[in-house]
Amino acid sequence: MGHTSLEKIIALQKKTSCIRNLCILAHVDHGKTTLADSLVASNGIISSRLAGKLRYLDSREDEQIRGITMKSSAISLHYTTGGNEYLINLIDSPGHVDFSSEVSTAVRLCDGAIIVVDAVEGVCPQTQVVLRQAWLENIRPVLVINKIDRLIVELKLTSQEAFTHLQKILEQVNAVTGSLFTSKVLEERAEKDAEAQSSCTENSSADQVYDWSAGLEETDDSDLYFSPDRGNVVFASAIDGWGFRIHQFAEMYSQKMGIRSSVLLKTLWGDFYLNAKAQKIMKGAQSKGKKPLFVQLVLDNIWSMYDAVVTRRDKEKVEKMVTSLGLKVMSRDLRHSDPKVLLSAICSQWLPVSQAVLSMVCEKLPCPAEISAERVEKLMSVGARRFDSLPEKTQELKKESPAVQLPLTQEEISQRRELARQRHAERQAANQSAESPRSADAGGTSTPAGPAGSAVTGKNLTYALCAQTEALSVKAAVEEESKEHFVAFARVYSGIIRKGQKVFVLGPKYNPSLALRLPEGCSVADVLPSIPHMACCTVDRLYLLMGRELEDLDEVPSGNVLGIGGMEEFILKSATISTSPACPPFTPLSFEATPIVRVAVEPKHPSEMPKLVRGMRLLNQADPCAEVLIQETGEHVLVTAGEVHLQRCLDDLRERFAKIEISVSEPIIPFRETVIRPPKMDMVNEDLGKQQKVAVIHQVKEEQMKIPEGVQVDSTGLVTLTTSNKMATVGVRAIPLPEEVTRLLEDNVELIRTMEQFSLFAWEDKTLDINQKILENIQDFKVKLESNLQGHKWRGAVEHIWAFGPRRFGPNILLNNIEGYRRPSVWQCLEREKETERAEIRDFDNSIVSGFQLATLSGPMCEEPLMGVCFSVETWDMKISVPQAQQDSVDEDSQPSEPNNDDQSERSDMHETSSNRSRSRAEAAGGSVDCYGPFSGQLIAAMKDTCRYAFQAKPQRLMAAMYTCEIMATAEVLGRMYAVLSKREGRVLQEEMKEGTDMFIIKAVLPVAESFGFADEIRKRTSGLASPQLVFSHWEVIGSDPFWVPTTEEEYLHFGEKADSANQALKYRNAVRRRKGLYVEEKLVEHAEKQRTLSKNK
Amino acid sequence: MSIFTPTNQIRLTNVAVVRMKKGGKRFEIACYKNKVMSWRSGAEKDLDEVLQTNTVFVNVSKGQVAKKDDLSSAFGTEDLTEICKQILAKGELQVSDRERQSQLEQMFRDIATIVAEKCVNPETKRPYTVSLIERAMKDIHFSVKANKSTKQQALEVIKQLQQSIQIQRAHMRLRFVLPARDGKRLKEKLRPLIKTVENEDFDEQLEMVYLFIVQVCLIDPGCFRDIDELIRCETKGKGTLEVLSLKDVEEGDEKLE
Repeated sequence: MGHTSLEKIIALQKKTSCIRNLCILAHVDHGKTTLADSLVASNGIISSRLAGKLRYLDSREDEQIRGITMKSSAISLHYTTGGNEYLINLIDSPGHVDFSSEVSTAVRLCDGAIIVVDAVEGVCPQTQVVLRQAWLENIRPVLVINKIDRLIVELKLTSQEAFTHLQKILEQVNAVTGSLFTSKVLEERAEKDAEAQSSCTENSSADQVYDWSAGLEETDDSDLYFSPDRGNVVFASAIDGWGFRIHQFAEMYSQKMGIRSSVLLKTLWGDFYLNAKAQKIMKGAQSKGKKPLFVQLVLDNIWSMYDAVVTRRDKEKVEKMVTSLGLKVMSRDLRHSDPKVLLSAICSQWLPVSQAVLSMVCEKLPCPAEISAERVEKLMSVGARRFDSLPEKTQELKKESPAVQLPLTQEEISQRRELARQRHAERQAANQSAESPRSADAGGTSTPAGPAGSAVTGKNLTYALCAQTEALSVKAAVEEESKEHFVAFARVYSGIIRKGQKVFVLGPKYNPSLALRLPEGCSVADVLPSIPHMACCTVDRLYLLMGRELEDLDEVPSGNVLGIGGMEEFILKSATISTSPACPPFTPLSFEATPIVRVAVEPKHPSEMPKLVRGMRLLNQADPCAEVLIQETGEHVLVTAGEVHLQRCLDDLRERFAKIEISVSEPIIPFRETVIRPPKMDMVNEDLGKQQKVAVIHQVKEEQMKIPEGVQVDSTGLVTLTTSNKMATVGVRAIPLPEEVTRLLEDNVELIRTMEQFSLFAWEDKTLDINQKILENIQDFKVKLESNLQGHKWRGAVEHIWAFGPRRFGPNILLNNIEGYRRPSVWQCLEREKETERAEIRDFDNSIVSGFQLATLSGPMCEEPLMGVCFSVETWDMKISVPQAQQDSVDEDSQPSEPNNDDQSERSDMHETSSNRSRSRAEAAGGSVDCYGPFSGQLIAAMKDTCRYAFQAKPQRLMAAMYTCEIMATAEVLGRMYAVLSKREGRVLQEEMKEGTDMFIIKAVLPVAESFGFADEIRKRTSGLASPQLVFSHWEVIGSDPFWVPTTEEEYLHFGEKADSANQALKYRNAVRRRKGLYVEEKLVEHAEKQRTLSKNK
Repeated sequence: MSIFTPTNQIRLTNVAVVRMKKGGKRFEIACYKNKVMSWRSGAEKDLDEVLQTNTVFVNVSKGQVAKKDDLSSAFGTEDLTEICKQILAKGELQVSDRERQSQLEQMFRDIATIVAEKCVNPETKRPYTVSLIERAMKDIHFSVKANKSTKQQALEVIKQLQQSIQIQRAHMRLRFVLPARDGKRLKEKLRPLIKTVENEDFDEQLEMVYLFIVQVCLIDPGCFRDIDELIRCETKGKGTLEVLSLKDVEEGDEKLE
């Protein structure tokens, strides 16, 4: 068979009924690409000798090296059967879990799917996944049971055993399909029930009898299943190049044996046997111990061939077989030392796999014009928005084009049809106003131009949507001039796409109702006002995808899969292209795998940062399932679906997109520091008060903080500190905030920021207008705070709030509990009207706040921000009542802002060069004019230190960021999954069984710090049957005390003397401190005697 | 041992000698290697893990033990453990390679952390990560000096890094209010210190007769003191200056698109 010419393909593209779009889906290593190879070979693109070895569609280098497919690739094939010519757009998809996004893409573009199952391994996890995906996208599957040769050669099964084995596999596959079907029916049933319940009151009597059937019986599911006698199952060995459907054998034997082929067809698969005497086909082969028909007529032949060719290498017998089958085998093949060569030479002529598969595909899979109604509906209704909500928006548009309205209203058709028609109408309207007479554009097939045509071709139009899904993934290809070119992988759902055509690119979030506000008859050519998620561009190039090559095309009619070039700037991951702005964007793809593996990426050479950023942008565009983000810490984080996917993304980055060396590391894990109430229990859950302390000299819990001189700590945790020039004294107490308050503060960051801004303006006697809504929100926030801060301790606390921190809006509070000091409250924006007597602000008020801000920004444990801590300032004495500022003849007017001015300088001092600092000290010492400047700085430092010591006087705890983790798993892997969870300090919150399936949904929380490699581990341990999804949820206090050492007898017994195994918090703390280069209390060598100290040359 | 074996060299392995001169006499103690610093920092609490023996020597390698009289006259006690503790705390020793290495490593990381905290990538206005800074520091062959403060070295290294990568001190965001009278004049003086002026505003204040110039601008933190001084001196305390943010960086995560 020669190479099919491009013209031929172009001609075929126009005949929608002759197009088959299909993809090959399977578990990893079940032979998708090999099967694709033999199909490709049938078109003469590669030699049939190489089929199965070349893996033509694995075009990437790493795909070839690893031997797994990583990117989907498409190819158009030509196939002739029974006088009909077909164009087959074949997409080969990867089977590995990590690349299931590619599978989703492929499924979206296709109308049918070939499910490949390994005859030895049977149904594997990914097989279930792809079946589910095919089911969800409403595409029709056919089955290929591959690698039957392994049953013969490796497992050495007899043909009888093989038959039972194959039956089992088929049952498994059908069981999966069946369960999908059941769950759907049950879901529908539940929905119906819910509806019924609402209407129950009216006809309760009718509903008396409970319907046990659950609707399963009523719904016909027979056409869902795979069965050889239906012709949707192929038995094959792609590597040896053979494959068949029982049709082929049925026809063959009907001639030989004189039994009608239809009868044979029905009996060839199943429990039937041939009664040679009676010349009859009888039932019950198994019970009578007879060979089933399938074994006798089909498998035995294959077995004997393998026996002759591979096992025994019987030349004569082979020749006999070849002649009896009427085949010609080249003598070169006959003489070849490898029996496999001969085998495939014979088989590929006798039962060519491409023939079997392609004929099945052409017969059993639908053509693009027969897209099922449900699928159209699904495509058009985005997310939660119901399909019904869409038409109203297009309703107006319908009126805009009166020419089409008329024929439409005459027919009573489903809403869906109407919709499609409207789309069509819009498109026509658009076309007309643009005065581009494109007659063929109108419908899927041969539609004459004009409004009348639309009525005539109603049938065709019904299924044609007026746009193509640019279903994603920009297949990176074609390297020219070292620049990457993106080719978008797309399918035309309706109309014809032409080179040079102007189209709208609609992003996934595009809302057609926005565009409909545009003036009537607005066309693509017009310059549009910017509408979110919509762009206008020209189709640069169209390609026919031919595996590794691309062929240029001028236009592509509907129903075809194609590549579009020149869309780099407009498309991110996926988009819908339409000539009509009223077209809704197609539903985003449903991914089985969400990106969860997070790594931080850095260039090897720091100067190459811009290249990395550019490369990551490209990667993000090219890969539907990779996410790229820059974190606040400046890390570039890459999120991928799994380790293999990650590897591929990194390779892509290195070699294609960024072209630099990169290094990968675990992302930085944030922590928070907090204080808690003194615990009542010790580590072994004993009451602390009653315990006898064990006095071992070096194990007594030391006072952790080494308090320097000049700091007084009283028993209640009040810390007092005097500035170094002995002029001011501050006393601060740290109090843990209730959890709800912390959460409240976190949630209302924006409000706090507004309040802060307001008081800043008030500072300068200006007013900031805040709208009423926000004011109400603030009021609400205040009330909530008050309700949460109940009790004796917190009396009036809300009114006394001095500031929030860090950065003025964080989850920590500074309280003003100084007697006799009233300052304007942070709530002053609320009581603007009342304008009470202006509370005076003490000098250096701002220094205290700055000190508080600095203290909350980095805590004493590991310099991480604080959270949920309240610092209450109880005393603040100044030796000198008025700072020397007064001497400087400063006007009274500028007084409020003056100290502010100064202390800022000191705040910056923290960041100043030390040389600068020493200079300022000199100033202070000299007692010059400016000596109060440094004083405010001293006050900040004093305040900061006081806060830190006050913090340390309380029991300190670390807070870890937590992920909530949702895991779907089957019952049999639950145990192993729990093992992984508990190993990583996870906690299960709930587990539920999903109705109608054997899947469990488990909700758990897991510290972010433990999540690195979690997804991979859980997949490995459960052989891919459980897949977690991680979402950041909250901060949680780690129970253990980072400074804890065993002190009681029980604790000794339990943890031993060192107790270094139990303390998670200490581990985290040390890790952070080590990363930051802070001092870690850690011995260089653990055991003095056990070190190697001899130098090497002695 | 009674039999003197003719080995020509005696090697002390795993011994670190801590010396101290007191009362005109030299005292030495024999400790384990890599342990003395841990003891001094408080990480090691077990004295037996530090001392080979609690004997005090005059010369460790020769095995000459210090005399009791000398000890009691120099230290005023005969408790050997107590004396050892004193020598451990105040004596001089050769810092072993691993101790030095870990100390320098720690300082190196500390410097990198300080640099990362203070600086941003001027293009994205986002900080660099510590590991990236570390790598950049290695690239320019920066070597840590153990006797200089880390902060000081960090400021030096920023200048050096600027030649190899795009890095910048994070700017401060300031706002000043100047009286109009001095405003014009001051502005010219401030101009060279200010990186970018984001917003300039003339405003009639309510009660005051002055016209105020409100400026929101970004400056390099090194110039802050100069600006502060300028404004205070030139306007005689009428101009105000406030820091809106110490570090002008982008906040929150950003998705690259």
